[in-house]
Amino acid sequence: MSFDTPKSSFATGLVTALPIALGYFPIAFSFGVAATRVGLTGVEAFGLSLIIYAGAAQFLALALITGGAPVLVAAFTLVAMNVRHVLYGPALIKRVGPAARTRHAWAWAYGLTDEVFGAALGALARGRVAFSEPFMFGLGVGAYGAWLSGTALGAYAGGGALENWPVLDAALGFMLPALFLALLLSILSKVHLPVIAVAAVVTVAGTLAVSGTTGILAGMVAGALTGLLRRPTDAR
Amino acid sequence: MRAELLTLALIVGAFTWAFRFFPTKLDVSAMKADGVLARFLASTGPAAIATLFVASVLPMLQQGLPVPLITGTAAVLATYLASRSVVGATLAGSAGYGLAVWALA
Repeated sequence: MSFDTPKSSFATGLVTALPIALGYFPIAFSFGVAATRVGLTGVEAFGLSLIIYAGAAQFLALALITGGAPVLVAAFTLVAMNVRHVLYGPALIKRVGPAARTRHAWAWAYGLTDEVFGAALGALARGRVAFSEPFMFGLGVGAYGAWLSGTALGAYAGGGALENWPVLDAALGFMLPALFLALLLSILSKVHLPVIAVAAVVTVAGTLAVSGTTGILAGMVAGALTGLLRRPTDAR
Repeated sequence: MRAELLTLALIVGAFTWAFRFFPTKLDVSAMKADGVLARFLASTGPAAIATLFVASVLPMLQQGLPVPLITGTAAVLATYLASRSVVGATLAGSAGYGLAVWALA
């Protein structure tokens, strides 16, 4: 992307957030349903989405809460699960280069979830957008709005909402994997194939041998380390 | 909201915000394009997304015959290759997965 390209606007960010919103809304709906099913009130379900805003961690929180885990143990299990997010900011800023501005990152970085990071990276890689803080706000607001509204509707619908709709339940459950795969395809290049292969293998091994959280962290780090093996002259 | 739930949410939310925000303030401008850290960060995106895809489908593979998973994955690949649309591919994958579950029911 040329530095002469106008910086993308808040509205462009909202449009770029559309696939995330389409994926987030049903997942968040499922979270609202699951939370009320295990005894949380609608306000509590919404509160978890509002404050934590990390899908996998929220589902795990339900399991920990219902399993009777002490608050601090549960909290730091979930914190450990989200450590992977430390890699996203520097990776994004490095991808953008000198045009990166982070004056208001204290606000927009709150929305730097897995999917927002992936969508931003994909859009930048395809040359469809130029980084700006309003763009990041738009991207984050679109995703966060879908997450909150989905949770609210799911909590309102209640714990038995999807019991009579197993096919819809299944289709909604595949929305997030489908989004991850589509995002992966959008940033795919030949030099990334070894990175992806190693990340996949290590994720499976780590998950089966230890736990899902370990598998995710180990897969990400092993995949990124594989990137060091390519020759420095290879294209990005 | 119960106090223990609010405490849990505030601790996790604060750490998650810190994980997402503070690293954006690292100075990566002086980093050489072909340097070790630059190559590590350039590989972080593909590695992260591949990891999350695998982690999200692994429980489906462990449940038995992955026909819906194959159908959903094929729908994502075919739609993305045909349209280059992340939205279209996501929706097609979800629909393909649901249709396969319905057909097998």
